[in-house]
Amino acid sequence: MDATVNPAVRQGQGIFSRYRRVDTITKLTVIAATVIALIYILLPIFWMLKSSFQTAAEIKQLPPKWIPDQIRLDSYQDINLLIPIWRYIFNSIYVSAAAALLATLIGTSAAYVLSRFRFPGMTLILVTILVTQLIPPITRVFPLYALIQDAGLLNTYTGLILSYAGFSLPFSILLLKGYFESSCPPEIEEAALVDGCSYISTFLRIILPISLPGLAAVTIFTFLNAWNDFLWASLLLNSSEMKTIQVGIGDLTAEGGGTRYVSMFMAACVLATVPALIMFIFVQRWLVSGLTSGSVK
Amino acid sequence: MELRKNLFCYLMVAPALLITLALGIVPMVTSLWWSFLDYDLIQAETAGETFVGWRNYQVVLSDQRFVTSLVNTVVMTVMVMALVVALGLLLAHVMNAKYRGRAIVRTLICAPWFVPPVVAAAIWVWMLDTDRSPINALLMDWGLIDGNLRFLTDTTDAGPLSLPLASVVAVRVWNGLPFVVIFLLAGMQSISRSLYEAASIDGASLIGRFRYITLPLLKPVLGVIVMLLLITGFGHFEINFIMTGGGPQDMTNVAAVYAYQQAFNFFRFDYASAASGVVFLMTSVICIFYIRAQIRKDK
Repeated sequence: MDATVNPAVRQGQGIFSRYRRVDTITKLTVIAATVIALIYILLPIFWMLKSSFQTAAEIKQLPPKWIPDQIRLDSYQDINLLIPIWRYIFNSIYVSAAAALLATLIGTSAAYVLSRFRFPGMTLILVTILVTQLIPPITRVFPLYALIQDAGLLNTYTGLILSYAGFSLPFSILLLKGYFESSCPPEIEEAALVDGCSYISTFLRIILPISLPGLAAVTIFTFLNAWNDFLWASLLLNSSEMKTIQVGIGDLTAEGGGTRYVSMFMAACVLATVPALIMFIFVQRWLVSGLTSGSVK
Repeated sequence: MELRKNLFCYLMVAPALLITLALGIVPMVTSLWWSFLDYDLIQAETAGETFVGWRNYQVVLSDQRFVTSLVNTVVMTVMVMALVVALGLLLAHVMNAKYRGRAIVRTLICAPWFVPPVVAAAIWVWMLDTDRSPINALLMDWGLIDGNLRFLTDTTDAGPLSLPLASVVAVRVWNGLPFVVIFLLAGMQSISRSLYEAASIDGASLIGRFRYITLPLLKPVLGVIVMLLLITGFGHFEINFIMTGGGPQDMTNVAAVYAYQQAFNFFRFDYASAASGVVFLMTSVICIFYIRAQIRKDK
């Protein structure tokens, strides 16, 4: 039997098994590194959650207590004494949702014509939008602040909503443009146009309905962008009841309120995270495909 | 027909273009213009806004605090980028492999994504509190350290490197990781499985497959990610501002925080604009490099 086996194959098997052993070591290293990375990723989230269920005294105990004695929800009830949290969360939801809808509405119509038609000045418009995407936010904050002030929009939600929509527009347009180019077959609308549909009704009746997944992704993306913002909201709003949740938490951190009322503070952090979490679960499924078709190209 | 089509196009693009111009281009140009003016907000009524040439840049660049913050900006950006890309490659690989329980691992890896930066900074400030840090407690238990590490207040330094700087970098990596992982995962998923199968039949090791298939095919995606990380890194503000406000002794101060302090603590919009003008120049250089590389590739 031995004589019939090609020596080259036997040699190949040898190499194969040697690599197998190396591969096992590689795999174990990767697993170990992943476990360490996961601890790094999850520890703060665990710490926030468990602290929100403890009393302030228990959190400050030394050495630190990893598991709460009992799950207490007191801090979630008392948090209103610290900051008007529900009001802040409502403010954030209102501003973020309005900005998201506005940006999606404006972004979709622009992305549609930029992906389907050729018209004079089109390249220039695309470049303008791209450049805006690349400007670091800090380089436009100061004049924009003055501009908003001159327009009388300081301390109004309108100013905040308009800015958030504007900040997210470039990325939304690029993402949607990619989406229209890769996921919406042009044949459908060509047929509609031949049948005598006007441009606008083709867009409203045919394109919008079939691109709902892409629109939803962009809406949620803009929502999260606005929800997460701190710098701009802290500059534009100074009346205390208009603050967004991020500004509320940022101010508490700066004032050291985080140390004195730490359990309530952690509860506030949890509450500031939950709406984003819900959005995230909702969007997770087609986020990868959205990114692939949109911006990696 | 042609006219109708063009009219339709312009109408559809107009709102987006107007908003982009008003909130992006115009403020950017104004900011550059201001960096050449004398613009002291406290005296603006009387002193007016006179053209002063490069004076603001001279003032800012000879300010030791700004030079420190510029060095920190570059050091932190490069550290964050290197760590995020290395960890991102590892985790994207883990998310792309096939095994039981992958869905859970995927969700866990993405977890920091839905934590807002302000909240992330706030939790980490508490986690890195000298006396009550669970990390200190663990390191003590394992006998790795004698006294508590002062993560955010230790002022011993080695050049631009210090413990507070490393701590802030760790938090920025934590916050920025999920986006990069998803981006890389999307890139990895577009690589055909048959390539890996062919390679493993030929006896290539795991490392070999990663080195000679994954990495070369991911190069375009990696290019985009590195560019994005450099651009957002140079202008980064939030986490530095919330965690340390630039301290201790400006060890974690970055250009964006410096500009913010000039504008809203000292009311010098001219110095602030000059500082952000320097940031703008740095990001422009990156953009030019990137665009040139793209053009060379297309040829």
